[in-house]
Amino acid sequence: MIDSFLLVFLLVGLPYVAVLGCIAGSIWRFRSARFSYSALSSQFLEDKSLVLGSLPWHLGIFVVLAGHAVAFLIPRVWAGLVSNPGFLWTVEAIGLAASVLALIGLTTLLVRRLTSGRVQAVTTPIDLTVLALLLAQVVLGILVAVQHSFGAAWATGTVSPYLWSLATLRPNPALVSDLPPLVQAHMALAWVLVLLIPFSRLVHIFSIPIAYLWRAPQLVVWANPRRFQGVEAAVLVPARRYFLRGVAAISVGGALLAAGTAGTFGRFFFGPRPSEKEQTKLDQEKLTRLRQTQREKELTLERARQRYIKIAKVKDLDTKKGRYFIDYEMRAALAFLGDDGLPLFISAKCTHLGCTVASDLDAQGRVLCPCHVSYFDIKTGMPNAGAPAKDPLPHIAWVLMDAKGDVVMRRGADGRTHGDLAPDQAALCDVYIAKREESV
Amino acid sequence: MVFHLDKCIGCHTCSVACKNVWTDRPGAEYMWWNNVETKPGTGFPTKWEDQDKFQGGWEREAGGGLKLKSQNRWDAMLKLFYNPAQPNLDEYYEPWTYRYDDLFDAKEGDDQPTAIAISQITGEPIQIEKGPNWDDDLSGSPEYAEKDINLDSLSEDERNAMFEVERVSMMYLPRICNHCANPSCVAACPSGALYKRGEDGIVLIDQDRCRGWRACVAACPYKKIYFNWKTGKSEKCILCFPRLETGQAPACFHSCVGRIRYMGVLLYDADRVAAAGDVPDEALVESYRGALLDPNDPEVLAAARANGISDGFIEAAQRSPVWRYVCQWKLALPLHPEYRTFPMLFYVPPLLPIMGRTNGGMYEHDGSEFHTTFEQARLPIKYLASLFSAGNTDEIEIVMRKLAAVRAYKRAQELGDLDVDRVLSGLRGAGLTTDDAEAIFALTAIAPLDERFVLPPIQREEAMPSSCDAEHCKGSCGLGASQAPERGA
Repeated sequence: MIDSFLLVFLLVGLPYVAVLGCIAGSIWRFRSARFSYSALSSQFLEDKSLVLGSLPWHLGIFVVLAGHAVAFLIPRVWAGLVSNPGFLWTVEAIGLAASVLALIGLTTLLVRRLTSGRVQAVTTPIDLTVLALLLAQVVLGILVAVQHSFGAAWATGTVSPYLWSLATLRPNPALVSDLPPLVQAHMALAWVLVLLIPFSRLVHIFSIPIAYLWRAPQLVVWANPRRFQGVEAAVLVPARRYFLRGVAAISVGGALLAAGTAGTFGRFFFGPRPSEKEQTKLDQEKLTRLRQTQREKELTLERARQRYIKIAKVKDLDTKKGRYFIDYEMRAALAFLGDDGLPLFISAKCTHLGCTVASDLDAQGRVLCPCHVSYFDIKTGMPNAGAPAKDPLPHIAWVLMDAKGDVVMRRGADGRTHGDLAPDQAALCDVYIAKREESV
Repeated sequence: MVFHLDKCIGCHTCSVACKNVWTDRPGAEYMWWNNVETKPGTGFPTKWEDQDKFQGGWEREAGGGLKLKSQNRWDAMLKLFYNPAQPNLDEYYEPWTYRYDDLFDAKEGDDQPTAIAISQITGEPIQIEKGPNWDDDLSGSPEYAEKDINLDSLSEDERNAMFEVERVSMMYLPRICNHCANPSCVAACPSGALYKRGEDGIVLIDQDRCRGWRACVAACPYKKIYFNWKTGKSEKCILCFPRLETGQAPACFHSCVGRIRYMGVLLYDADRVAAAGDVPDEALVESYRGALLDPNDPEVLAAARANGISDGFIEAAQRSPVWRYVCQWKLALPLHPEYRTFPMLFYVPPLLPIMGRTNGGMYEHDGSEFHTTFEQARLPIKYLASLFSAGNTDEIEIVMRKLAAVRAYKRAQELGDLDVDRVLSGLRGAGLTTDDAEAIFALTAIAPLDERFVLPPIQREEAMPSSCDAEHCKGSCGLGASQAPERGA
C-alpha cells in the first residue's frame, strides 16, 4: 500500500508543481532563449525510419490525448454517451488501437535514435529521458486499458472530477486515492511529463503553427517602421483581412467552448447565494460531516488501541442479510452467519475499483457490487466468470468469546478454525475481530 | 541582380568567399548559399530542378490566381511530422574533414601516415561518395549531365548530338538566393519567420521565430534554403546585408573574378507581382518584365516618392545596370520563371559555345555568318529555353541575336575583318542601335565596380528602429547575436 503522504503528494502536490512549473518554465524559456524553440526535426539526417516512427506516434498520441481531453472537458456529456455500450466499445477500441499505434511509433523512434549515427549526433540526454518516459507512460496507459477496461466510463466518475477539483483549486484526492496503483502511476507520470515540457524538446507542442491557417501569404517587414508607416499599412491590408477571418473563426470556437463551460463557472462565481435557511442547512450538513469524521477518527483510534473489537452477538447474525462493519484497516466488511452456524466475515471492498458491495445474498449465495456488476460468492470470495473484478474478496479473521471474556474459538483469514464449539453454544458467544498480528 | 554567364569561368571563388564569411560553422558545413553548377548537370542538391519530386514554387489555379505547389495551409499541417518532399542530407552530401592529427600522432611504422576522411556530423570515418560540386566540368558524364531534367524538352536526336564526346558542351550556372518578388518560401513558412525586408527586398529568416518545420526548404523551388541540422533552424543567403548596409557589395559579388555580377535597384508594384505570374509559361518572361517599373517615368517616380522611397534609391534605380540588362536591352532572363516566384536574379545566357555541329570532324561553317546559325548551336536553344524562359525559344533567340550582333559589331570595329554593312544590318535585325551596342559592350566588358554595383548604402542607423536598443536588436540588424545560437533541448 502506498504511503498516504506520498499519495497526497503525487495526486495533489505534483499536479500543481507540474502545471506551475510548465507555465513558469515556458515563460522563462520564451523570454530568455527564444532561439532554442524548434521542432528539432532530424528528418534531414535520417528519413527512412522516421516516417515509420513519427507519423504513427503523432497520429496515435493525438487521438489518445483528444480522448482524454474530451472526457475531462465535458465529463457529464461524455458519461451520457458512454452509457451506451456500443459507443463505449467503439471508443475503447479506437483508444486502444491509437495507443498501440503510438507505441509502435515511439518504439521505432527510440530504436532509430539509438542506432543511427547521424541522429545520435543531435541526441541529448534529455531527448532520451523524454523518449523513455513517454514509452513508459504509453505502456502504463495500455496496461490500464487492458487490466481495468472501460476507463472511458469509470474515469468520468473518478479522474474527471479529480481533475476538475484540481482545476477549481479545491483538490480532492479522495476521488482517485482508491484507484489501482497502475492508474495512479499513469497519472503521476503524466504530471512529470507536463513538468518536462518547457525543459525538453516537448516544447514544440507550443510551436504548432495554427496561425498559418489564416495569415497573409506574403510578409514584408520594414527595418525602419516609423518612416514607412504608410506603406506598411497598405501592405497589411490583406494581412488584416486574413487576421479578421482568423479572429472570427477563433471567436466562434471560443464562444462554443465558453457556452459549454459557462454553466459550471457561472454558478460558481455568480450563482444565487444561499438564503439563511439554506446556509443553516449547509452548516448542519457540514457539522454532520465533521461528526462523521470525528467518529471515523475515534474508530481509527479504537483500532489502534484495542486488541479485539466486538462486532455482534453471534445469535444476531443472519445467513441471508449481512451486517456491515469496519475492519482493522478501516475498510467496509460484511458479517454473515455461515451454514455451519459459525460467523462468516468477508471484505466488502470490491477488488475491481473499490466500491462497497451490497449486503443481501442472492439465490446462489452471492453478493453484488453495484458499480460494475461483479457477483462474489461469499463462501469462496470468488467473483463470477466475466466480472470486471478478477480477484476474490478476502475473508476476515474472527474470534469468539464467551460471557466471561475468554477466547473459546477463532478462525483465521485463511478459513482455518481453531477450537471446537457446538453451534448452539457458539450462538451464546460474542464475535470479535482481532488485530492482524493476533488474528491467527 | 544580373549574372552574365558568358563571363563566368567557373572558378568557385564566389562560393568560397561566401563559405568563409557565413557558413563555416557546425551545422552549416554542407550549406552553399552561393554555388556554381555545371550545366548540363544535376546541380546541388541533386536534381533540385525536379519539382515533381520536390514540389517547390507556385502553380496556377484552375480558377485563376497562384497557389503553392505544396505546403498550402492544410497540406502543411498534415506534413508537419513528416514531409515526403523534403530533401535529406544524402541529396546534398555528407560534409567531411580529415583526421589531420593522425599525420602527427601516428605511431612510427613502415607506412606513411594518412589523414582519413571523417564525417563532420558523426565524427566517424566515411567513404566519400559525393561533394558539393561533384559534377563540376563533367557535362558529358552519364551520372550527372544526362540526368539533367532540362534535357527532357530535347528530342532524342538533339540529346544524342549533345553527348557525342567531341561535341560535349557546357556552361556554368552560379546560383544564390533569388530574393524573389513573390517568394514561395515566405508564403510557406508556418511560423511566419520568413519575411521580405521592405527597404531592399532581401528575403530573411527571423531565427527567433523559426521553429524548424522546414516548409520553406520544400517550398523553395531553387532549394536555396538550407536546414541547419545542429541548431534545428533554417538558414539562407542574406545577400550580405551587413555589407550592403555599409555600402559594400556582397562577398560573392565582390570576389567574383570574372566580374559577372551586377547589382542595382529595380522598382516594382507589389500589388502586381502575383498577377504577373498568373500567365501561361511562354508569356512569363515578358509578363515579369512588364511588372517592373521604368525608373525614368515621372508617374512612377511620383508614386515612389509618395511611398517614402528615398532619393538615393530613386537615383540608384535610374542608374541601375539591372534595369538596363533586364528591361532596356532585354538581355537578362530569370532562371526557371515557370516556378512563378518572380526571381529577382536574372541571367544573361551564354553565347558561347555557339559553334555549330561538326561534320566528319570539320565544323559546319559556311562562312555566310560570323557565327553558325543558332539552330545548330552546340548548346541547343531549347535547352537554354528550358532554363531561362520556361521553354519559350523566341526569347533566347532574341538574346542570342543581340549578343552576336554586338560581338560582330565590336569585332568589325576593332579588327576590321567583317563586312560593315552586314554587321550593321545584323545590329538592326537584332533591334539595336550602334549606341546600344556600345553601351552593352561598355557595361559587359569594361564597367568598373561603381557601375556594376549601384546601391546606396542603407544606413544602419536608419535600418534600426530608434525605439529599439542596439543591444536588443542584436541578431536582427546585422550586429551579431546577443546569445549564442545554440541548439535547444
